Amino acid sequence: MTLWFILALMTAAAVFAVLWPLSRRGGQGRSGSDLAVYRDQLEEIERDLAAGLIGAQEAEAARVEVSRRLLAAADQTQNSAKTPPSAALWRRRAAALMALVLLPVGAAALYLSFGSPHLPGAPLASRSAQAPEQRSIESMVAQVEAHLERNPEDGRGWEVVAPVYMRAGRFTDAVRARGNALHLLGATAEREADLGEAMVAAANGMVTVDAKAVFDRALALNAADVKAQYYTGLAAEQDGKPQEAGRIWRELLARAPANAPYRPLIQSSLSRVDPDAAAPGPSSDDVAAAQQLTPEQRGEMVRGMVDRLAERLKADSSDLDGWLRLMRAYIVLGEADKARAALADARKALGEDADKRKKLDEFAKDLGLEG
Amino acid sequence: MTRKQRRLVLIGTGLGVLALAAVLVLTALKDSIVFFNSPTDVVEKQVKPGTRIRLGGLVQPGTLDRRDLNAQFDVTDGRNVIRVSYTGILPDLFREGQGVIAEGTLTDAKAFRAETVLAKHDETYMPKEVADALKKQGHWKDDYDKKGGAPVQQK
Amino acid sequence: MIAEIGHYALVLALALALIQGSVPVVGARLRDPALMGVADIAAFAQFAFVAVAFAALTVLYVSSDFSVVNVFENSHSAKPLIYKITGVWGNHEGSMLLWVLILSVFGALVAFFGSNLPATLRANVLGVQSWIAAAFYLFILATSNPFARLPQAPFEGRDLNPILQDVGLAVHPPLLYLGYVGFSISFSFAVAALIEGKIDAAWARWVRPWTLAAWMFLTLGIAMGSYWAYYELGWGGWWFWDPVENASLMPWIAGTALLHSAVVMEKRNALKVWTVLLSILAFSLSLLGTFLVRSGVLTSVHTFATDPTRGVFILAILVLFIGGSLALYAWRAPLLKQGGIFAPISREGALVFNNLLLTTALATVFVGTLYPLALESLTGEKISVGAPFFNATFGPLFVPLLLAVPFGPLLAWKRGDLLGAAQRLMVAFAAGLVAIAVTFAIIRGGPVLAPFAIGLAVYVMVGALVDLVERIQLFRQPVGISLRRARGLPRSVFGTALAHFGLGVSLLGIIGESSYNAEQILAMKPGQTVSVRDYDVTFDGVVSRQGPNYRELVAKFVVRQDGEIVGTLDPSKRSFTARGMATSEAALLTRGFSQLYISLGDPGTDGAIAVRLYHKPLVLLIWIGTLIMVLGGALSLSDRRLRVGAPKPAKKSALQPAE
Repeated sequence: MTLWFILALMTAAAVFAVLWPLSRRGGQGRSGSDLAVYRDQLEEIERDLAAGLIGAQEAEAARVEVSRRLLAAADQTQNSAKTPPSAALWRRRAAALMALVLLPVGAAALYLSFGSPHLPGAPLASRSAQAPEQRSIESMVAQVEAHLERNPEDGRGWEVVAPVYMRAGRFTDAVRARGNALHLLGATAEREADLGEAMVAAANGMVTVDAKAVFDRALALNAADVKAQYYTGLAAEQDGKPQEAGRIWRELLARAPANAPYRPLIQSSLSRVDPDAAAPGPSSDDVAAAQQLTPEQRGEMVRGMVDRLAERLKADSSDLDGWLRLMRAYIVLGEADKARAALADARKALGEDADKRKKLDEFAKDLGLEG
Repeated sequence: MTRKQRRLVLIGTGLGVLALAAVLVLTALKDSIVFFNSPTDVVEKQVKPGTRIRLGGLVQPGTLDRRDLNAQFDVTDGRNVIRVSYTGILPDLFREGQGVIAEGTLTDAKAFRAETVLAKHDETYMPKEVADALKKQGHWKDDYDKKGGAPVQQK
Repeated sequence: MIAEIGHYALVLALALALIQGSVPVVGARLRDPALMGVADIAAFAQFAFVAVAFAALTVLYVSSDFSVVNVFENSHSAKPLIYKITGVWGNHEGSMLLWVLILSVFGALVAFFGSNLPATLRANVLGVQSWIAAAFYLFILATSNPFARLPQAPFEGRDLNPILQDVGLAVHPPLLYLGYVGFSISFSFAVAALIEGKIDAAWARWVRPWTLAAWMFLTLGIAMGSYWAYYELGWGGWWFWDPVENASLMPWIAGTALLHSAVVMEKRNALKVWTVLLSILAFSLSLLGTFLVRSGVLTSVHTFATDPTRGVFILAILVLFIGGSLALYAWRAPLLKQGGIFAPISREGALVFNNLLLTTALATVFVGTLYPLALESLTGEKISVGAPFFNATFGPLFVPLLLAVPFGPLLAWKRGDLLGAAQRLMVAFAAGLVAIAVTFAIIRGGPVLAPFAIGLAVYVMVGALVDLVERIQLFRQPVGISLRRARGLPRSVFGTALAHFGLGVSLLGIIGESSYNAEQILAMKPGQTVSVRDYDVTFDGVVSRQGPNYRELVAKFVVRQDGEIVGTLDPSKRSFTARGMATSEAALLTRGFSQLYISLGDPGTDGAIAVRLYHKPLVLLIWIGTLIMVLGGALSLSDRRLRVGAPKPAKKSALQPAE
């Protein structure tokens, strides 16, 4: 409704702009003529002469010329004065009618054919102010990203967006966000560990050398940091040192409070490397707590990533590193059968390449898949 | 000078300048026009080696071989391929699979020595000549059909 | 809602333009003051409504309202505010809106300052101005509507193109448009004069300042665009004879010619018919330029292919206005009264000579730019006409023009003394010869003709000053008297001298850059040193940096001259991962008027990086010269007193009309 009101007001203003001059009595008063220009010119010649810019002779010649034009113009003005300006009332009325009728009708017709008056505006601010449930995660992320694009120095912002990236599976972005937060807000054990976690996720669940270094830094800052310790254990497991991993995780478990949300994760990890480790059934509280947390989801995430990797290798089977990662992942997940199947597939795929073949065999031996 | 002479001076100067301009334009046009050719044009018209032309097409993916300042790549319009060699710095937007225009001379039937390589400041750039040539060969993709930015020449 | 208000404002502007284009013109014909009076207020109202539309679009951009197609396609919520605003005219639709905004500003200015114009002339001028405006409003609404909507607003906009986020690029189009559209005033005056069948003295008084203002903006716009190309595109060129550039050069040449003929017209009441024709030409070429660039006719036929309505509309407007005005000219020009008379050797004669050469040069650019288009549409053969063509045609035509430049102001009106002028220019000739000799003596290499060209540039510069020295009788009178005379001199005289001096300065820069440019393209390893001219450039190594939305590879160079460090250069290569594109940022080191210029290619293996290194002597003079020209224009414009060109008195013979 407001819109129509404003549009009507604008139309009225436009109509008024035409009607007003038409209604003025006697029309416009001001207007210039040639005569004024020539008179100016004559004065100018006098000024120039006085200033010594032109000689007396030239001034005289110019004066003669301009005067001649002045006379001619004066003649013309007199001639045209004989036919006085006509100001017929009916013409004014016709013009006024045109403005009053054609302008609004024409404008409305054009606007209705081109415009979309029913569509509300949607500036960023109003879109952002929509109820949260109407907004997708994506849109919220976009908003934070927009903010960070403008204020790349805002460490808190990076810290906020990082877990969202993790959940959305945008691990490379998560690594960058964690790294920026760490860099901007200063190093703490938690931030280092978070960065490491993102790096592990980005590497399809592998604790890379770089990630290991990050966890070491975290532990140097706080030897009791749970996340860093957990991943150090995972690194040990992936390096083929299950005893080491078991030791770290057992220690962690011993120190963990009874209701610590990460207990189930560590226990399940521990049971991989040490099947004897008695896994006391998680209390109902534990289960409830674990459900909301990332560690639980992380297991699924890793599984999803492994599946994706397997898919990719089906399409592009020449990627040795991919095969190695896939085999190791299956071992980590405790699925030795699948790891063996992957080894067989990889052998088939890499059949020609002796160099790669050798690496593959060595790796398989390390993982304990052969012999 | 009489009135007639005065007028003759004015008209004469005017015609003189115009004649000079016409001569300049005609000679310059004869010498400095460069024809645009697609690889297929080069093959079909049997463009002679040494003729200065503009060659346009897509950079065949996987054919770019770049060693420091020397680059070689294949330009294709889907039917024929010409090997282009170029010494210098390629434009920022030069990419495999993208449209490109190279100006230079043919060194033999299928090899081209480029002196300039043209690209355009737009990631959806497709030079008009290249687009037309590709359309002719039936290799046109709709997503190329975007408006472009200002052209950029790379020497 | 804001989008709809803007949209409706544009529709109302069209409606008003139609009324303004009809009622006052009829009024002028019938000499009805009330009907003519509609023009003024309608012009103001039109400006107000277009301003509302433009403001609305700006608000939409700033608030990232992606329910508007144009905003969605050309903006992004993460753009810095300044680029959101400049993004308004960084696209076809928005730029057309800017175009009509400027047009309506000029219309309102005519209405505001036009009180000294005869009523019928003012009504006709504003009427014609409105026809142009109406055509453009219709074009915008029908084919390039910036207010078209999307039913469902997408969350993010499409464009975050980093290359277009540049201040130079943001200012360049508005300046060009101010120039292009400024010529619409002289066009409207010319057409109004043709309609009336007579040219008032007031007509002459108006055309020169408006042309001058438009010319200044256009000069600035072109200079700015060329400097942008120079520092941003990374290969050190500043003018490519590219069709898009020619599209802006053609109206500039026509405008320069118009400027000079308008002087004759204002001061001597001569060359009227010719000035009318030039006014029509200047604006027609502006229209052509706008469309060649904006419709993409030249760079790509896509706009025609994908949106035939737009192309047809464009052609219709071009045919209507260019064809219509030229037809009107052919029909009505003979009615115009012949103006003053003059001898071939006179100030007027010199200006005619200037016009002759300028328009001929214009014709060669026109041929070179449009010949490929014509040939393609006729035979399908694709050709390109490059720099060699323009250098071979434009150059030879400009040499006599430049030789004649210093003569113009020294010749008297009506009949001049060529020999006397030549005698007074002896100093300039001498300076030019000395420059040639000095150049030959100290500089090795370079084209043989280059020293002569430098001599020509020096001659133009000194020659421009000779006029001033002569007028204030410097060195002939005591300094006090000279100073007093200088104070009494009209500012337009200083303006002329300055503009001509600037022309020489630019010329010097162009010759220095194009003839003595030293260039090295090579792959450099860290620690390696290369010599360019007498500079030793050492490559220190590469650092990588993380920018806000890009990663940057910065190469560090140290520049030494005779062992002393004179500066560092760090060009970089940025890659915008999100958009998968890369840009090169060139680095410049200014030494006097010359510059060292480095841009990067691709990093190779083993730490080497491809480097393009230039030494560009006197390159800055190119733009300094254009700035001096603009300054001269501004000085001349500030001289609002009406000047009369006092003729040299006739001795005996009668003169005939020169037209």
